[in-house]
Amino acid sequence: MSALFYSFVCFFLILTALVASEIKDILSAVISLSVFSVLLAIAFVALQAPDVALTQAVISSGLITSLFLVAYSQTQKEGRRENDEE
Amino acid sequence: MSKSCFLRIVTFLLCLALGWQFWKGILALEPTQIIIGPAAHYIESAAEETGATNIVAAILFDYRALDTLGEASVIYTSVCGIAMLFAKSKFKISSTGLSFIVKRGVSFIIPFLLLYAAGIVLMGHISPGGGFQGGAVFATATILFCIVYGSGFEAVMIKPKTKELIESSGALMFVLIGFVGLWTGAGFLANIAAGYPKGEVGRFLSGGSIPLLNIAVGMKVSAGLSTIFYSMIKLLEFEVTKHPGVKNK
Repeated sequence: MSALFYSFVCFFLILTALVASEIKDILSAVISLSVFSVLLAIAFVALQAPDVALTQAVISSGLITSLFLVAYSQTQKEGRRENDEE
Repeated sequence: MSKSCFLRIVTFLLCLALGWQFWKGILALEPTQIIIGPAAHYIESAAEETGATNIVAAILFDYRALDTLGEASVIYTSVCGIAMLFAKSKFKISSTGLSFIVKRGVSFIIPFLLLYAAGIVLMGHISPGGGFQGGAVFATATILFCIVYGSGFEAVMIKPKTKELIESSGALMFVLIGFVGLWTGAGFLANIAAGYPKGEVGRFLSGGSIPLLNIAVGMKVSAGLSTIFYSMIKLLEFEVTKHPGVKNK
């Protein structure tokens, strides 16, 4: 049971990390990073580190995601700039 | 093109390698029989020496309180820097927020969210949590305010000046609690030795200065993080409302 659970968490951690680093769309990468940190928080709880898990869940999946989204909407996109020039 | 392709392959392999290492580490995990070094001392005598059941809180706010002060000042400095970078002018133009249904729904959630955050901060010495985590949950509540009701509403409800005051007074409180130890001759940020009441281990009123330090850090972190978010989103709405329909060259 335990090994199955850990293998599930590990597999999806790798998957979300790969999606976050490889995908073209920044918005999808940010959401994928959020899912990654939720999974990491679950792993921390299973490894009996509830303090770290709480920090991970709040900071990484809540605050960091919102800050990334604000930064995303603040900056100019490459595609948008080309459209403006046309 | 080939360089970016190379970087992508490197990132791919790095992710796979780190995940594999994580998996190997979990497989190698076994119940530890022997604990040596400072850990043994902490586990054995943390509750006795500090009055806190949560060993992590005992280490963070008693044995290694100076490190926590350093971390908190890092956050303080970064908040000051971001607020300075984004401080353009004093405008109060804001979006109207999301729809009526979302506003109603969030208004039901917010009290529980605040209660949860207060619980995390105040029970930091008994259960997992502490000032940093609880403060971050408080900041998340203000971010919800910002997104759902619009940042103008948030600025009216909790003025930026008030946040500044809360953050600075949290930092000041931390240092003053530390100075009590210096005053009694037990050393900076001393806990039980400085004369703070230990209380009964496991009860709410216990742990000497640890709950006070938790509250100080919670004030600081919550005000600081919500200041960061507010100053970033403020600029965004300024640019949107300042140049409506004006094409930038």
